[in-house]
Amino acid sequence: MARSKEIAPGVGRLSRSQVFARRGLYKGLKKTEKAAVEEPAATKEVTVGGEKNGGKRIVPTAKAPRFYPAEDVRQPKKSRKAPKPAKLRSSITPGSVLILLAGRFRGKRVVFLKQLASGLLLVTGPYKVNGVPLRRVNQAYVIATSTQVDLGDFKVDEKIDDAYFAKPSKKGSRSAEEEFFSEGKPKEKEAFPESKAADQKAVDAAIVAAVTKTEYLRKYLKSSWGLSKGQFPHQLVF
Amino acid sequence: MPDQPSNFKRFVEVGRVVLLKSGPQTGHIAVIAEIIDHNRAIIDGPTTGVPRQSFPYRHLTLTPFVLTKLPRAAGTGVIRKQLEKEGTIEKWNKSSWAQKREAIEKRRKLNDFERFAVMLAKKQRRDTVRKVVKKASA
Amino acid sequence: MGSTRLYSKGRILGHKRAKRNTRPNTSLVQIEGVATKEDAQFYLGKRLAYVYHAKREIQGSKVRVIWGRVTRPHGNSGVVKAKFRSNIPPHAFGASVRVMLYPSTI
Repeated sequence: MARSKEIAPGVGRLSRSQVFARRGLYKGLKKTEKAAVEEPAATKEVTVGGEKNGGKRIVPTAKAPRFYPAEDVRQPKKSRKAPKPAKLRSSITPGSVLILLAGRFRGKRVVFLKQLASGLLLVTGPYKVNGVPLRRVNQAYVIATSTQVDLGDFKVDEKIDDAYFAKPSKKGSRSAEEEFFSEGKPKEKEAFPESKAADQKAVDAAIVAAVTKTEYLRKYLKSSWGLSKGQFPHQLVF
Repeated sequence: MPDQPSNFKRFVEVGRVVLLKSGPQTGHIAVIAEIIDHNRAIIDGPTTGVPRQSFPYRHLTLTPFVLTKLPRAAGTGVIRKQLEKEGTIEKWNKSSWAQKREAIEKRRKLNDFERFAVMLAKKQRRDTVRKVVKKASA
Repeated sequence: MGSTRLYSKGRILGHKRAKRNTRPNTSLVQIEGVATKEDAQFYLGKRLAYVYHAKREIQGSKVRVIWGRVTRPHGNSGVVKAKFRSNIPPHAFGASVRVMLYPSTI
């Protein structure tokens, strides 16, 4: 049966999977048989007391739920699609200097370290140079420059991943009052965790050492970027 | 008053070296080999990568250079010989016009870091000049 | 020291229109320094922000924004078409818009 009529020599109207569906190929395909799992018996016999009850009775093993919805609600289909991590732009490689375009540190020039599993980019100022800490950024919000910091065989600690940046989950619902005040006084700011400060220092040490090898590079990272009159981004080389 | 001869010298003429302002060879120079009409000329640049073609004057700029002994409708070979004999290409490259164009081109191609370095260098220069001037005028 | 501007400047020219009818769901924007269709390619997809001041404060600010995106070039001289979340009001014609540099592809 020619379900997929040709629209050009060698090109069918339908895709492989469409032909597959229409020919019903899925019907007789499954060859392997699953190991038979023994179904627990649907009913069991129980002895019941009382004279007029006949002594024994067959009852279902699992009781039917006491409550059930009066109307049938359709189960939503489970999606089998999983988002793929974003592809890294070819202009971004470990050691690239990036310009941040949005957010708290917009305009800052930072060093790219690696792409995390979520697709976000791990960058650092370094903190010591321009105050940008280890941070995740979306690559849509950066300009990649052709300037490179030679990182050599420097590798970022494996523990610095997406979970490292996750906020600690707060328990329960608290009022804003409780959140900011204790005993009628504003709460003291929580100190930055020391382990994270140490991680930042360790990364910075390596990056700053690499940065100082090139003249002006440290100054360059310290300064921020912006467009001035007569500069048009489509004409600039980065 | 006696008639004064015109001192205008930059004519459209056979042998005139021209700068292209459009097309794939923008920024290259070529030589007028033959004048077609008041809109177009045949240009040729055997040593500058410009193939022989007709080109409108609107998209040409005349340079002060000219090949003095080029006959009308000279072929590519003759033009090449004349260009090499008179050293026109070198003369053009040495002219301040060509050098300025080159400088602009170079500046356009700088990346962000190089632009930053230029900014620092200019700052340095300003500083030095300012100090010297202050000293001299004091 | 240097400049801190992280956007290009653009100008709202008006709505997309024919001779007599306007189509206010698309606006025309001229971006500074863009004179050809080829130059305009760089800006396609970029976000636009029409920032204006209103009289009444909302969340402690009198500044308001209408966000939009550059969709496609309009003609050959570098003007672009843009869609805003809510249509640009006619009193904004001639006003300047910020052409943000994100989503970036460089």
